[in-house]
Amino acid sequence: MDLVRDVLDKQLVDREDCEMGRVDGLVMRIGENSQPRITHIEIGGKTLWMRLHPGIAKLAAKLAGRWGPKRTATVRIPWSHVVATGKEIKLDVEARETGAIDWEIWIARHIIERIPGGGHEEEE
Amino acid sequence: MEINIEQLLGTKVCDVDGNDVGRIEEFRVERDGKSCLVDAYLIGASALIQRLSAWTLVRPIGRFLNARKVYTIYRVPWQDMDLSDPHHPRLRVRKRDLRHAK
Amino acid sequence: MKKFLQIALGIVTSVGGFLEIGSVTTAAQAGASFGYKLLWAILLGTICLIFLVEMSGRFSAVSKHTIVDATRERFGFPFFSIMLMGMVLVAFLVLVAELGGIGLSLQILTGIGFQWWAIPVSFAVWLVMWKGTFGLIENGVSLLGLVTISFVVAALKLHPDWLGVARGLLPGLEGDQKAKYGFIAVSILGASISPYLMYFYSSGAIEDKWDVTYIPINRVIAILGMSFGGLLSMAVLVAAALAIGPNGVDITRFEQAAQIMTSALPKWGFFLFAVSMLVACLGAALEISLAISYFFAQGFGWNWSESLTPSKDARFCFTYTIIILLAAIPLVLRVDPIKVTMISMALTAATLPLAIVPFLFLMNDPIYLGEHRNGWISNSVVGIVILISFVLAVISIPLQIIGG
Repeated sequence: MDLVRDVLDKQLVDREDCEMGRVDGLVMRIGENSQPRITHIEIGGKTLWMRLHPGIAKLAAKLAGRWGPKRTATVRIPWSHVVATGKEIKLDVEARETGAIDWEIWIARHIIERIPGGGHEEEE
Repeated sequence: MEINIEQLLGTKVCDVDGNDVGRIEEFRVERDGKSCLVDAYLIGASALIQRLSAWTLVRPIGRFLNARKVYTIYRVPWQDMDLSDPHHPRLRVRKRDLRHAK
Repeated sequence: MKKFLQIALGIVTSVGGFLEIGSVTTAAQAGASFGYKLLWAILLGTICLIFLVEMSGRFSAVSKHTIVDATRERFGFPFFSIMLMGMVLVAFLVLVAELGGIGLSLQILTGIGFQWWAIPVSFAVWLVMWKGTFGLIENGVSLLGLVTISFVVAALKLHPDWLGVARGLLPGLEGDQKAKYGFIAVSILGASISPYLMYFYSSGAIEDKWDVTYIPINRVIAILGMSFGGLLSMAVLVAAALAIGPNGVDITRFEQAAQIMTSALPKWGFFLFAVSMLVACLGAALEISLAISYFFAQGFGWNWSESLTPSKDARFCFTYTIIILLAAIPLVLRVDPIKVTMISMALTAATLPLAIVPFLFLMNDPIYLGEHRNGWISNSVVGIVILISFVLAVISIPLQIIGG
């Protein structure tokens, strides 16, 4: 399997095939003499903006700090949760618990649901 | 040490003598149960074509233009890569000892 | 039987969605200023669009990815973000133009200035997106769009010189007024070869759950739908050539374009023109809003589907809400929609390479398409479109300045 072609930037889905963002980063751990291993998938936050420019990452962090869900750090999911790769990457997690869809839930609660016809998120 | 691979992408690699080899374009991994181990790095201009899965597009154009250029993709096993300085990856071998990928 | 119905609907969608303020404005100006001489530009644009739309549908049906989805995956986030910025900025201008087109239609019907219509119109567009499903938008609005066939009726009633029309379908350079001729030709191509239509069509294929079996249907829809749509544009040009051309008047204001219909249909012409433009621009406004929101949602991996209740795809809905709101602002400030139209057509032409070059890679990708990859014919057409798009990119802005 090739990481950049087959994993990076691919769509992530959770146990229930709910979309939870894309693989924005992959963390590799390097040891002294041991084979490097991919330990985590990173979603959103600083990781994503760092791919453009560190300055953008700083700006994004500042803006997110003032407005939005509290947990705005990059979401890290251990590689061990990867169930399948292919068209999408399926993870053995529940999207809500990971924090990957915090922004989605925040916007749904604070903006969308306040507008008539917006519907309601299921109660947790 | 932890590195984000997307930050390594596109970084220039030198061999043990300081000669330019190319840029890291791809990471070949093998999945072993629940873990994912990095097997090799693909370096070189043509590795980009590999990554964009664009061979079916590029080869005919190359033939059409009678390109003599040898497609350069080096496959560097993980043991031969020194990532102690992630901004300046170095090989532990010489460029001429590298194997061409597929 | 079901497939036949789908083909029929698909064609209706393509026809109903083809005309919008850009294509009508450029076709009307072409007819008024140069008679039949620029018909070839519409023909060329339509042929290119047929191929591009067929490819978009085939890509999504086989790979089960939308074009935007696959672009992010294949080219990575940094490249994607450049493409996002370029396409979204220009698409936003087109949206302003389309909302302005609805406003202008209401203006000529009611006498109330378009700037007063900006907020109600934006709200109406937003409401359709908020409450409607993809099926409603795709089919409902497009069925309404059939009223634009009145342009064909108008053109026929004015008894065109068919020999002149046939000659106009062959490309030729105009003697004098070269800059203006070139500018309108470029604008026609920019109005026809719309990348947003590709993204919309590709997303539609996924919403409608197309698979490999839909490839033949896709081909029929692309060919017939875009052809009929191109015919509509040509009808506008021909009608303008006959109704306005002889007067030697330049079309600079929206009301002047109404002459296209009133000359042929004195009683109903004005009303038909206004309603046709209103519906055409409405369809286009919905399509562009969706296309922009798809870019964000699919690019970042959010939930997106026009058929979900808004809270289930909150970020997607939030995106189009903000966009539609922002698009109303220039109109409230009385920025001339016709001017925005001309600029946005030129800019669309200028940014075409950004959309089409990655697309060429995607259409040849064995992982996404397997055996359904482009053959040499399709690739050649895309190659030609890329060439045209680079030429357009280079000359459209200077021409805008000189000939616009």
